[in-house]
Amino acid sequence: MQTSATPRSLGWLLLPALLVLALFLGSVVLLFLNAFWTKDGFSLVYFRQIVERPDYHEVFLRTASISVVVALASAVLAYPIAWLLWRLPRWRNLLLVIVLVPWLVSLVVRTYGWLVILGPKGFLNEALAWIGAIQSPLPLIFNDLGVVIGLTHVLMPFAVIATLSVLLQIDTRLEEASESLGASDLATWCRVVLPLSLPGVFTGISITFLTSMGAIVTPILLGGLRQKMAGTQIYQEVVYNFNMSKASAWALCLLLLSGLGLVVLRAVEGALVPKADR
Amino acid sequence: MNAPLIKLGRAGSFALLLFLPAPILVIAATSFAAAGYLRFPPGELSLRWYLEAATDPRWLSAFATSLVIAAIVAVLATAIAFAGAYACHRLKPRWLPAFELVVMSPLFFPHAALGVALVNVLALTGHLGTVVGIVAAHVVVTLPFAWRPIAVAMARIDGEIVEAASLLGADERRLALGIALPLARSGLVTALLFTFIISFDEVTVTMFLTGPETTTLPVQIYAFIQENASPVLAAISTATVVVTLAVVMLLERLIGLEFFVAHDPA
Repeated sequence: MQTSATPRSLGWLLLPALLVLALFLGSVVLLFLNAFWTKDGFSLVYFRQIVERPDYHEVFLRTASISVVVALASAVLAYPIAWLLWRLPRWRNLLLVIVLVPWLVSLVVRTYGWLVILGPKGFLNEALAWIGAIQSPLPLIFNDLGVVIGLTHVLMPFAVIATLSVLLQIDTRLEEASESLGASDLATWCRVVLPLSLPGVFTGISITFLTSMGAIVTPILLGGLRQKMAGTQIYQEVVYNFNMSKASAWALCLLLLSGLGLVVLRAVEGALVPKADR
Repeated sequence: MNAPLIKLGRAGSFALLLFLPAPILVIAATSFAAAGYLRFPPGELSLRWYLEAATDPRWLSAFATSLVIAAIVAVLATAIAFAGAYACHRLKPRWLPAFELVVMSPLFFPHAALGVALVNVLALTGHLGTVVGIVAAHVVVTLPFAWRPIAVAMARIDGEIVEAASLLGADERRLALGIALPLARSGLVTALLFTFIISFDEVTVTMFLTGPETTTLPVQIYAFIQENASPVLAAISTATVVVTLAVVMLLERLIGLEFFVAHDPA
């Protein structure tokens, strides 16, 4: 809308938002400065460490592979839930609460729940021992399996929401047309619904991948301090070693790796999803 | 036609859906168990962990800190987003798409990297470990979540109403607060409640910024899990779930939850 004279004073209303963005962008600039400016002046020592030390390669490799597995697992497990909510419009609001509340509950609480369930003396091991299925507790946490289970569960609600929002965009007449032309439900889903919903699946994968790359709490609590991920290493450098330069260098490498992951994901999406759907 | 297949699909999907609240329900059940852990068969029920939590000043102060921070953050982020989105709505600058991309950019930052970045800047201004520092960081984190519902609600306002009010002599202040504010209220309420709950439950960025004097409830829960997993944690955790559930139900009652799955018209 354009009124005759657009008062310049309106521009001032943007100032608070600009201040917040300045805080954010300023912190990113400082991240770069700190990463290259160590206590001995300009130095690439922490980047060289990351390039040279095999144990650090392993941390980044574990971070990336866990994040890929978590992103794919959440996409696959979230899809049926999104489909259910889409097919049951009358129940959608109630079911949406069941998705949204776990999503918004603090992830430290949800991770704690998995500790209670999967721990050596946890709910699951006790139950299995009680019915006599196992003799000694299964090692379900303090390894990569525990981290993957925890992160997948923590991030799944977002994948549900991303997929559902695209499913809701689909014109129901397309489905009716497919069925009236004699396609079975399964064929309709495979050839009409799934291709149209892929953009939502990819949005979900991007966000779950990014969040998993930057995760700290779930990897520490379910993986233990020895199964390091980039986030846990960064947190240790800041809180226990007070080495801001090293933490900043790691954060930049994490950003770079996450960005690369997104570029690859975009390419895969471009190959799978026809342009008109995006 | 394929009725059994559809039924099977529904049952499987429903089982997956119930997987989402499962760990939360297990914690809630644990919090009422007198023994402090889940046993087979279930033992005696009691409220002793809630009593213990409610009489421990450390938990009371962390709970109060989290509520105060979340309330301040919700009001600040919503007000900042409203002012900014209103200006953008009126001025329609050519750089708007680029600007909104910058507003949304913290969403694309892995939280560990965002945490370090904010430590850098807050250490410089001396606000590490203070309520002010945590509030500033939370406003950065929540602004995208406030901006989107408000911008969406603003886009739905009929431009002619504002035009008419302007022709009838309403000044800028009146246009913003008397016309746009009430017309965009669904977006404002969504933004307020959504940012409140994100701030209240945020842990990954916040854990970089707390100090010996100031800590939030989720960060303290994290610290206690690492020290000793006392059953008091289950009671505290259940309390945070109740707060979250209450806010979601309030949003459902006032506005509805369609916003979360509605496609962005902008």
